[in-house]
Amino acid sequence: MKWRVMKLEVHDAYLNMSIDQAIMESVEAGKSAPTIRFYKWMPSAVSIGRFQSMQEEVDIEKCKELGVSYIRRATGGGAVYHSNSGEITYSVIAPVSIISKDIRESYRIICGWVIDGLSKLGINADFAPINDIVVDGKKISGNAQTRSKEIILQHGTILYNLDIKTMFAVLRVSEEKISDKLIKSAEDRVTCVKNYADISLEGLYERLLEGFTAGKEFEINSCTEGEMKRANALAKSVYSSDSWNFDR
Amino acid sequence: MGAALKGFAKFKVPGGKLVEVKLKYNESIESIQILGDFFLYPEDALNDIEKSLLDLNIGESEDKIAKLVDELAKRKSITMIGITPSAIAKAIKMAVGK
Repeated sequence: MKWRVMKLEVHDAYLNMSIDQAIMESVEAGKSAPTIRFYKWMPSAVSIGRFQSMQEEVDIEKCKELGVSYIRRATGGGAVYHSNSGEITYSVIAPVSIISKDIRESYRIICGWVIDGLSKLGINADFAPINDIVVDGKKISGNAQTRSKEIILQHGTILYNLDIKTMFAVLRVSEEKISDKLIKSAEDRVTCVKNYADISLEGLYERLLEGFTAGKEFEINSCTEGEMKRANALAKSVYSSDSWNFDR
Repeated sequence: MGAALKGFAKFKVPGGKLVEVKLKYNESIESIQILGDFFLYPEDALNDIEKSLLDLNIGESEDKIAKLVDELAKRKSITMIGITPSAIAKAIKMAVGK
């Protein structure tokens, strides 16, 4: 099984989520190889889980003020702040048959690739079921998965550095919750690569690439023309639409 | 029949995720939304669960509601992670204050 690996790219929120879906459809149709992609978000964005309420989770006015996008993911899970310079997101799109039919096990397997990448930086991370990766008990990566009968799409974020003040500004929490006391409390629960390794974002990406591809036959490639066409259409008709983003 | 009452409940499923229920009701459920940071496959099936709960008498027991959701989940091959039929039933009973 030969994988397609896509180098670290930067897109806006709508295209990032649309590319994931377009690749999923293409892999399902047998037109594309199983794919691992890495990406960043420009502008920074908040993504919410499929079953969350945008109004409840996100301070829309604050996002507009700060130029932060907001989007609903196709995957469940919680709200995430994707800082342009503070994290790397990955996606794995592959047949269920080469990962695992068991959902919990498939989280463990793919999160294992993140953990392998972090270990190359000397960071000792652990899988924390259902869908987190922790270092010293603090969350460093959140992951979410959707699947059809045949195909898994798992994406996740690896925190490179923390901007807790902006995170709390765009995620809907009351003013008192961004007091110093609560920011400190968040720092007790969340951590990032920069706290453990003196490495650039590019360096983190290189180690993650090693962790994800170890033992796999792969080629570096990009989206096909068909995938990009579909992704652009999805970005316009679904992922940037209020009917999708404010569905709940 | 008067104007519908509004109900809301939110709690963390032990060992799981947050589940939140928003509903309008009189003697039965008139509208319902189930929200949270859980996982449910296939995702569109949450709409089926919500639809199946419409017109449910709010006096039904938590066990009966859980059984109803569980049976639908089995019938439609729905997989829930971080949420359970019992958690949905519990949130509904909390939301209607019973």
